[in-house]
Amino acid sequence: MSGKRSAEVGASQPAKRQRINEESLELANEDDVIPPSPPDTSYVPKSAIINFSALTRKLAENKRIEDDEPMLNASSFDIHRRQQDKLISHIFMDQDFSWLHLKPDHQSRPLWISPEDGHIILEAFSPIAEQAQDFLTAISEPVSRPSMIHEYKLTSYSLYAAVSVGLQTDDIIEVLNRLSKVPVPDSIVTFIRGCTLSYGKVKLVLKHNKYFVESSHPETLQLLLKDRVIREARIITTQTDNSIKAATFTTSKAPTRGNLVIPGTEKKKDEAGKGGPQNVGATDADLFTSVVGVDADEIDEDDDNVHAFQIKDDKIDEVKKRCNELEYPMLEEYDFRNDTVNANLDIDLKPATVIRPYQETSLSKMFGNGRARSGIIVLPCGAGKTLVGITAACTIKKSCLVLCTSSVSVMQWKQQFMLWSNVTDRQIAVFTADQKEKFAGDSGIVVSTYSMVANTHNRSHESKKMMEFLTSREWGFILLDEVHVVPAAMFRRVVTTIKAHSKLGLTATLVREDDKIADLNYMIGPKLYEANWMDLAAKGHIANVQCAEVWCPMTPEFYHEYLKEQSRKRMLLYCMNPNKFQSCQFLIKYHEDRGDKIIVFSDNVFALEAYARRLGKLYIHGGVGQVERMLVLSKFQHDPRVNTIFLSKVGDTSIDLPEATCLIQISSHFGSRRQEAQRLGRILRAKRRNDEGFNAFFYSLVSKDTQEMFYSTKRQQFLIDQGYAFKVITHLDGLENLPDLVYRTQDEQIELLQSVLIANDNDADLGTDIRAVEGDLAGTVTSKDFGPMKFPAAQRTTGSLSALSGGQHMSYVEQNKSANRGIARAGPSAQTSRHKLFAKREKDKATARKESRAGGM
Amino acid sequence: MRAIRGVLLTCDPAVKQILLMMNEKESFIIEDLDDHHLVIKAEHEYRIRKELETELEKNTYSLES
Repeated sequence: MSGKRSAEVGASQPAKRQRINEESLELANEDDVIPPSPPDTSYVPKSAIINFSALTRKLAENKRIEDDEPMLNASSFDIHRRQQDKLISHIFMDQDFSWLHLKPDHQSRPLWISPEDGHIILEAFSPIAEQAQDFLTAISEPVSRPSMIHEYKLTSYSLYAAVSVGLQTDDIIEVLNRLSKVPVPDSIVTFIRGCTLSYGKVKLVLKHNKYFVESSHPETLQLLLKDRVIREARIITTQTDNSIKAATFTTSKAPTRGNLVIPGTEKKKDEAGKGGPQNVGATDADLFTSVVGVDADEIDEDDDNVHAFQIKDDKIDEVKKRCNELEYPMLEEYDFRNDTVNANLDIDLKPATVIRPYQETSLSKMFGNGRARSGIIVLPCGAGKTLVGITAACTIKKSCLVLCTSSVSVMQWKQQFMLWSNVTDRQIAVFTADQKEKFAGDSGIVVSTYSMVANTHNRSHESKKMMEFLTSREWGFILLDEVHVVPAAMFRRVVTTIKAHSKLGLTATLVREDDKIADLNYMIGPKLYEANWMDLAAKGHIANVQCAEVWCPMTPEFYHEYLKEQSRKRMLLYCMNPNKFQSCQFLIKYHEDRGDKIIVFSDNVFALEAYARRLGKLYIHGGVGQVERMLVLSKFQHDPRVNTIFLSKVGDTSIDLPEATCLIQISSHFGSRRQEAQRLGRILRAKRRNDEGFNAFFYSLVSKDTQEMFYSTKRQQFLIDQGYAFKVITHLDGLENLPDLVYRTQDEQIELLQSVLIANDNDADLGTDIRAVEGDLAGTVTSKDFGPMKFPAAQRTTGSLSALSGGQHMSYVEQNKSANRGIARAGPSAQTSRHKLFAKREKDKATARKESRAGGM
Repeated sequence: MRAIRGVLLTCDPAVKQILLMMNEKESFIIEDLDDHHLVIKAEHEYRIRKELETELEKNTYSLES
């Protein structure tokens, strides 16, 4: 081990020395910048430093022999630096980057780039961090964004995206270099060059319904035309000259953003927004001129001429594929303003609709050069993804197809379209299992689900006709909601059957447990924009949330059974842990007293019902009927006495939940990061979020020493990467003093344990209350109509007649009634039972009527 | 009478339950005192600690796994 390490050190030594000599001039200046400069002695008191351990001493001795020579003519700072290296470098092993030299003014530069894997570490507290962030989100993917230090990663896809929004290779390197504490490592420079060289140089443009391959670099087009497949696909229009010259390309002015204004934003504001950073940049040192410089360059570039050649429609797929093989992937853009073939759709946002700044930024990434780019926009739940989609549709003003995950969201999308834009009922149609409409006129909007469109099995006659309608026409715009859940195969089917000029994917959580996210990159397009959750919370667009994980120790009895049981029953045991029960009761009490509206989530229906009954709260799960459900929801919304509601998985997406300010999670779907984020989304849109000092609360109750701890940590990863901090609460203060605390005595706890143990194995399953309906995607819990409940199969048992008739039991009284039943009874009867005064009046009326009828006879 | 060298273990109730389960496989507990205390045979101590460690580690999430 030590031998290997010393060998490594020895190997890296020459490079290091060389570098020092090269930059000795700079380093000399640095001497007075760094505070702990060494005493000015020509040799260093070695013994004072080398006293760590035998190992380091040995290492140092090896080095000292090597170092003795250069030390004679090196400056004191050099020696100091080398001594430091000696002490530290072995700790970091392979990750020792001390040979990367800091620039003299590194303190004012906010980021550091890892030469090996392209990770970028940004100091988020730096005064220029905001500008740096804007730049980094454009060229790299955010990995983790807690409050102080952010991490980004350069990937080929992110660079592809950067190029697609108009950044040039040299600008990227230039700006990175200015912001970086160390000179941008050569490995990174070559990586960036390699990725950006070919990406985005070629564009596939649909103009007048003809496909053009377009590029501002004629050489690239010539290169492509040398390929047989592409040459054959080309349509030669004017000149018959077959020799490939730049002159044969149709040359035209490149598009500029021109007068395109995204609706909902005033143009003035837009300009002010652009001027803003420039002014800031001017006042600050030359550091930002680089950032701003990119803007200017972009405009310059747009003035260049572009060259294009036309290709045959039916060869599109082949050409696309071929280009990918040639490593010139084509960007797809849609010049919708010059599209005269497809009829315009006359829709606009309502005048009162104003979109938020970050929504505008995300859209400006999409419509950056006056054309529509395909790509994905990532915004947190509750931050108005729908509005972004609608605004995009209103900007393009062509026929539009909206695809979402379930029939419930289909209706929601339609409703939102009607709410925000001036689309008429005739222009918007719905295509689901039970509704198959077509819009009137040449253009319109169709809202449907992925599975309706991608379905390959037998269809009903009607949906077959509807599909023909969808596939026969050309769509200006296809909007894909919740893109992260769509399986790749289904997606490909959608994309190939529907002809759309531009695609926009919307999602809140671009994570999947199976890591198939990369597929989306080439099927839809690059990630155009990803919002920073913390930023939005700070600006009041989403609520501030305090996240906490409450550790509930297992009681010995429960833990004993837990250790004995197999996995499925285990889940039930850690959900039903009496200590968790108590914590839940305490938190509900505490937050009800504060005036919060509380939602308690439990994936496990058995636990849900047990909790809700014991604590006397209302609940909704898949088995609760529609009428009862509406009643419970309206109670929760309007009745000041009902502040808590228990929800199963149905609450994740399918119910239009009234706003809540506190969320407690008692059981969840294993380690699903998406579910965690989705549930958090339930409290992000709280209306009171702009009150000063307002916080929403998010609790996860976790049974200690069980698998739940593992899952819980895993679930949190996504939110942690967004900058949320989870506090761990090991003890709830005042829990013991709560009056009427449930399961206080051991006897009660053991009784509870018994009830858990006799519970059916199936009760331990998660989300058993929900069944998928045609049109819903697997894995999304979305249907509103849960279908008829399954009846348990008949059972045969032997028993005495007296036992069967209940004679062996002493008596039976239901002690633990469902609170739902209370309101169900009170609900309808409350309407019929009227005040005595009216009752009497009615009675009188009735008798009077009877009398008059009798008199008439 | 032969004396057995014992070690007094102080643990939380959950860990005690794990130890009881382990005891069923191979007996090492001399005396079960209360929820927090056990006396175990001294020669088993090291092995028990190791096994307990791996058992508890199963419930910990790390980025590498």
